[in-house]
Amino acid sequence: MPPAQPDNAEHAAELLAKVASEQSRAAFSELFRYFAPRLQAYATRQFGNEQTAMDLVQETMSNVWHKAHLFKPDRGSAATWIFTIARNIRFDFLRKNKYRQYDLSADDLWPVLAETNDSLDDDYALDDDLLMQQLSVFCEQLPAAQRTVIELIYIEGKSQQEVADALQIPLGTVKSRTRLALQKLKELIKHDD
Amino acid sequence: MIKFHPSEQHLVLYTAGELSPAMLMMVGTHVDMCSHCQAHVRDIEQQLARKLLGDVEPQPLARNAALDEQAMLQAIFNSQPTPQTAAVAANDSLYLEGNHFKLPATLARNSHRIGDWSRLPGKLWRAPVTVGGEEMLNFIYMAENASLPEHTHKGNEATLVVNGVFNDENNEYRDGDFVLLDNHHKHSPATQNEDCLTLAALEGPLHFTSGLSRLLNPFSSLFFK
Repeated sequence: MPPAQPDNAEHAAELLAKVASEQSRAAFSELFRYFAPRLQAYATRQFGNEQTAMDLVQETMSNVWHKAHLFKPDRGSAATWIFTIARNIRFDFLRKNKYRQYDLSADDLWPVLAETNDSLDDDYALDDDLLMQQLSVFCEQLPAAQRTVIELIYIEGKSQQEVADALQIPLGTVKSRTRLALQKLKELIKHDD
Repeated sequence: MIKFHPSEQHLVLYTAGELSPAMLMMVGTHVDMCSHCQAHVRDIEQQLARKLLGDVEPQPLARNAALDEQAMLQAIFNSQPTPQTAAVAANDSLYLEGNHFKLPATLARNSHRIGDWSRLPGKLWRAPVTVGGEEMLNFIYMAENASLPEHTHKGNEATLVVNGVFNDENNEYRDGDFVLLDNHHKHSPATQNEDCLTLAALEGPLHFTSGLSRLLNPFSSLFFK
């Protein structure tokens, strides 16, 4: 008798973590035995068609197997994550029709399985915007050469090597300008507080 | 501060994926903009998940049906991950009349669905958002000091302020506000010193009721091209 069932949220999250980190078939099988029949009951009620229901179960659980690394325990339980995957698949099953290519897909609405999840990161994005606004004020006080390096690295996301290539200056110079600029920014921010 | 939110029923139907495409976009965009409704949607997801996948034993139906666990497990282990559907790159910038608007995530992901802008009488611009379904989804942009003639609706009209502010007889609506009007409401939206970009879902053609604007009824077909 296993001590915990996947209906225990913590245990289910651990199983998903094992699937993500070591592709544990045992962990996945345990999740599958718990969730598959429940998904099947849900899908059968929804579609009234056994085959479609089985397709939904298989597609949902395949995503759980392949995309377990996208599960974020701090955003909700394993069951909730699996529900949102099943919800998306159901939505796409219902709308699927070759001739309606302009219709919204589930991914357009709920990017549950997107590698970078825009909508979930939104609240952070907002803070980022504010922070960037404040920082840009400080950046304007940097010497032009340092400011250019900071903008290329932190706004455009270039590596130090890429910046060196782009500006045709030695990598060492990029590093020292970055260091000096960050020191200066630190002082400016401290001073501002 | 957002004052007007979708109803709880809207949020539940949105979370379940059971609204029309146009309304899914409207509610989704509001949720992007509203941390209160984001939290609410997460709660609803949890509740639906618990209801559907919780610890109640599955119905006997499921046991009778042909769920061959071993076969399906093998099929899953042998399957290849589905490649990311070639998602159109999200674009959160919208330029109109020299203004730059930052689109919330749901709209940014669907920016390729935004059609061309056309100018309407009265300092208004419109662009359709093609999402499928029966209801029309449009961006409506009102410049400063613009107004729509008083009208009622044959069906329901949902309006979401994406950026800016507009007024009608009853209220002032700002960024993120979500307003649902049925065919009993007459209203005349207008802007004052600030422009306003809204997203509007209409179930039926606008029906103009006051004075000369009654003659503009054919104008409502502009919203439904």
